[in-house]
Amino acid sequence: MATPGSTTLSTAISALADPPLRMMDTPALDYFLIEVVNTLRDSAAVATARTKKLEQEMIDAGLLPPLNPPTGTATNKRDSTMRDSLGSSMSKGDSSQSKSGVEEDDEALRQRLETIGMHVGANIAERLCHDRPLFSDTLDAIKFICKDLWSTCWDKQVDNLRTNHRGVYVLQDNAFKPVTRLSSWEGRADAIKRAKLYVAMPGGIIRGALSRLGFQAAVVPEITQLPQCTFQVKLPKGS
Amino acid sequence: MPPQLRLNAVAFVSSQNHPILIRTFSQPKQDELKYHYIAHTSLDVIDERITAAGATKSTECYLGLLYVEDVAVYGYMTPLKVKIIIALELSDNVVRDIDVITISQALHTAYRRSVANPFLRLHAPSDNVTDHAVVVSAGSQKWKLFRERVDEICRAVTLPAAA
Repeated sequence: MATPGSTTLSTAISALADPPLRMMDTPALDYFLIEVVNTLRDSAAVATARTKKLEQEMIDAGLLPPLNPPTGTATNKRDSTMRDSLGSSMSKGDSSQSKSGVEEDDEALRQRLETIGMHVGANIAERLCHDRPLFSDTLDAIKFICKDLWSTCWDKQVDNLRTNHRGVYVLQDNAFKPVTRLSSWEGRADAIKRAKLYVAMPGGIIRGALSRLGFQAAVVPEITQLPQCTFQVKLPKGS
Repeated sequence: MPPQLRLNAVAFVSSQNHPILIRTFSQPKQDELKYHYIAHTSLDVIDERITAAGATKSTECYLGLLYVEDVAVYGYMTPLKVKIIIALELSDNVVRDIDVITISQALHTAYRRSVANPFLRLHAPSDNVTDHAVVVSAGSQKWKLFRERVDEICRAVTLPAAA
């Protein structure tokens, strides 16, 4: 009588079923996040410049109604040289909108970061769900995110989970790894403002993991005080 | 001579019940439609089992033998709601649960590796999970690697077991 644990299948398929774990250095994720924000800022600026140029051409050709120029706002000083050169080339139609242009660029940057996070989160969730049983309900799925996903990505678990039992969950982390080392020489308020951009990607990771689990959620990261970070997860009604 | 499992067909069905991949390994080629049909009917049985399991609060991934219709059909549901349906040829040998579970996990791993490729659905909207199912049935060129992985699993299954 064969022992209950043995299998008649060859070792090859057991290896395929349970592939050896691949590990990754956590500092790599930190460095990647730092670099990716700067790189994507430039890349997003180029992309928005391209679309603005196209819009401007269409306005000149009379296809679109002209944009309302707002009352002159001061141009925002940016450090990167790429931005300076773009600023001069965009000066024709957009210097008066440069302030809102900066926020638009940040918005485009945040979109990109969140999309990257969604891909990463979805695939990490797939990997983590390999051996575990099915989720019994939504709360179980959120707890999985709080424990397994957080400890995989950031080496700790979520400190506080609150819910209003109507689809809104608040995940609070008192020392969120990507922002623990973030500081700005212009003061704490500026550091918080910059940190908002860096948590866009972890927010995307959570959103991607939830979407792969089947929940179309909206995730809003909030920072009131470094290094504490909260994520508000809104699940649609009926789940 | 250790008993061998003859794998006839494998089907992956997405969470919205779209077919992702249906692959057959039996000799006569004209049976492919039959396995599409089998996968379709097993979806109903799976739904039944899931609701029954939900009533008893069990959280088992492996759904066991679904039904028998000249092939034995086994189901496995991943926590991400992707269903894996395996059709094994009927034989007198005892088929152990652990073997089918191992095969299902190997298939899940292959699926997961292929889906992790971000270049497969570059232009799909990021919200929609079911898009990849549509892409597969439309242009199967990109999913060639997935098919090869599934084929490799089948070959590994039908090899005789190590002593």
